[in-house]
Amino acid sequence: MITRRAAAQLLASTAAAATLGAGPALAADKVIVIGVDLPLTGADAQGAIRILHGAQLVFDQANDANAVPGYTFKLAVMNDATATAGQYDPAQAATNARKMVSDHGLVAAIGPEMSGSGKAMAPILSEGGLATITPASTNPDITNPKFAAEFMPAGKAIYFRTVTTDAFQGPEMTMFMAKKLGVKSVYILDDSGAYGVGLADAFEGQAKKIGMKVMGRDRLDPKNADYTTTLTKIKAANPQALYFGGVDEAGVKLVKQAYQIIPKMIKGGGDGMVAPDILTAAGFPAAQGWYATIAAPHLVGDPKSQGVIRAYKAKFGIGPDDYALTAYDAGLIIIGAVKTLIAEKKPINKATMRDAIAASKTPTLQGVVEFDKYGDMKSHIVSVYQIREDKSKPLDDMIAQYHYLGPAPQV
Amino acid sequence: MSFSSLLLQQTINGMSLGAMYALLALGFTLIYGILELINFAHFNVFMMGSFLALWVLQGFGLTGQTVILTGLPLIGVLVAALIVTMFGTGVLGVVIERVTLRPLRGITGPAAMITTIGVSYVLFNIILLLTSAQTLNFPNPLPQLQWQVHGAIVTLPEVLIWLVAPLLMTGLWAFVQKSRLGKAMRATAQDPEAARMMGVEVDKVIMTAFFLGSALAGAGGMIFGLYYNFTSFLIGFTAGLRAFTAAVLGGIGNVPGAMVGGFAIGLIEAYSGQFIATEWSDVIIFSILVLVLVFRPAGLFGRLAPSKS
Repeated sequence: MITRRAAAQLLASTAAAATLGAGPALAADKVIVIGVDLPLTGADAQGAIRILHGAQLVFDQANDANAVPGYTFKLAVMNDATATAGQYDPAQAATNARKMVSDHGLVAAIGPEMSGSGKAMAPILSEGGLATITPASTNPDITNPKFAAEFMPAGKAIYFRTVTTDAFQGPEMTMFMAKKLGVKSVYILDDSGAYGVGLADAFEGQAKKIGMKVMGRDRLDPKNADYTTTLTKIKAANPQALYFGGVDEAGVKLVKQAYQIIPKMIKGGGDGMVAPDILTAAGFPAAQGWYATIAAPHLVGDPKSQGVIRAYKAKFGIGPDDYALTAYDAGLIIIGAVKTLIAEKKPINKATMRDAIAASKTPTLQGVVEFDKYGDMKSHIVSVYQIREDKSKPLDDMIAQYHYLGPAPQV
Repeated sequence: MSFSSLLLQQTINGMSLGAMYALLALGFTLIYGILELINFAHFNVFMMGSFLALWVLQGFGLTGQTVILTGLPLIGVLVAALIVTMFGTGVLGVVIERVTLRPLRGITGPAAMITTIGVSYVLFNIILLLTSAQTLNFPNPLPQLQWQVHGAIVTLPEVLIWLVAPLLMTGLWAFVQKSRLGKAMRATAQDPEAARMMGVEVDKVIMTAFFLGSALAGAGGMIFGLYYNFTSFLIGFTAGLRAFTAAVLGGIGNVPGAMVGGFAIGLIEAYSGQFIATEWSDVIIFSILVLVLVFRPAGLFGRLAPSKS
């Protein structure tokens, strides 16, 4: 006999399942909400959308396969880019973090992409006890115990990563330049941003440590258009290589003007230089030959990732980049943490999820991911790329135009 | 690179920058000379100029850095783009004056200046929305020519800047000095009331000043694009602020002063970047400005001042 209450429940849950499109999930499934924070519009949109698709794929697959019986995952996607900033906006990221923390059903998050957003979000997430896993932001300060008062005021790690930090991305590129390219002297530039300065500092520290000669260090103003003065200075100093810590806003202009003034010099940067603008706005021939790194293993080229990549392409029509797959990994870790809690018969809330993520040893596309007590991955692989024009592919096809060279030597 | 060729190279860099600042500075100075108004919309009229030129060049089928033209087609395309750009930004300047500033004429205080800041942000956000904040590749149809001069390199775009910018500036100077309308401008600058009584059409004079100043900013925007091969909604502020500084340095209201001020700022930027550090360039530029204003409040050359009582 169907009581009135049971009928109402049935009706409500059928309606919920229909609107969610939850596929084979049972009508009585509990919904687990996962927050996502990314700069989905403006200058950073292309990479952010790829990352979002990576997160969507892993949870859709889990829902379709009924990976966690009795539970359905749902994403709460938030955009941290604003029209006034034209790109990611730390103030908006902080607002999103507050929304996530105050949402009772939201138990874990993926994101942000940008370290500037991460710095704004971390203290709020810490106070709210909400764990996030970033698939792309690499500034080491956020997880550095020296800055714990600022970024983890509540004490426990809440900012986890499926990429390594600039504390490795910079120095391992130094080692790549020294060992693989035979660079003995270098000139270092940054773009005066938090990410760029930190990365350039890390590169410089390692260069001094191994006796690579630092011929100079200068700072570019990303709002300025003219870098010919600085580049002329570099030309006169005549180093073997130029290293740039920064993102594409200054990067595009640097690539263009460096091609005019120091065309033959070895030039490299970090993951800020892995951006479609470098290919479309700076373009060829200027961008040809630039080196850049990703703070993760080259998952796109890994045979173990191919099944996921096929599913990704089939679902979204474009291929993933490495940070789309580290976002997939972040999703796997969250799903793994939910499974652990269910197996241990613990409630699923922000606090238990945080502890489960911190203790997890989840097999992912990049192997088993383990975190140190601050939230950083124990492994620290940096992949090196070189821009080489592939005329058969579209200009902004980053996977075709950024040619994978191999992992950088570890430090 | 020897020290002398390094110095020469930085001088070349500074002169190219300076020519652009000078073109922009003229617009500030022209309008200030007549209306005593600092026109902050000018920043983004310059930015609009680079986008107009971009669209015209794209209209000719030029995209990216791949299409190189020579001879008559090159000159034809560039002249056509320059004319359309200068006319377009000139009209934009006139519209800004007619729609937003004329109703405020006669109101004392900063209302008109604040309005120009508002207009500047409107233009800025229009382009931001149209381009979704992307930096755009500016087509460069110029052949990759360059010459060695005493160890320094001079490129074709630099030579063109040095030819076109002084040509436009001298043209403006001659217009203000020799033509009837120029004479009316100078009369209005000295005393609008008396000029009106003598039969000068003040409204027409002001519109002409806006047209000319904005057209020069448009030319500056196009030259910017050809020189740096990119444009974005952001380019107006840094260049505009430095050009404004150049106008004040030379004596705002003073046309030759703005030219000299522009080149001075360009050279200061290049030399301070070389011998101190690029991150100090702004500090040095603006410190010099403050010093000049403290000791010579009217700028280096004084201004063609409205001597209102």
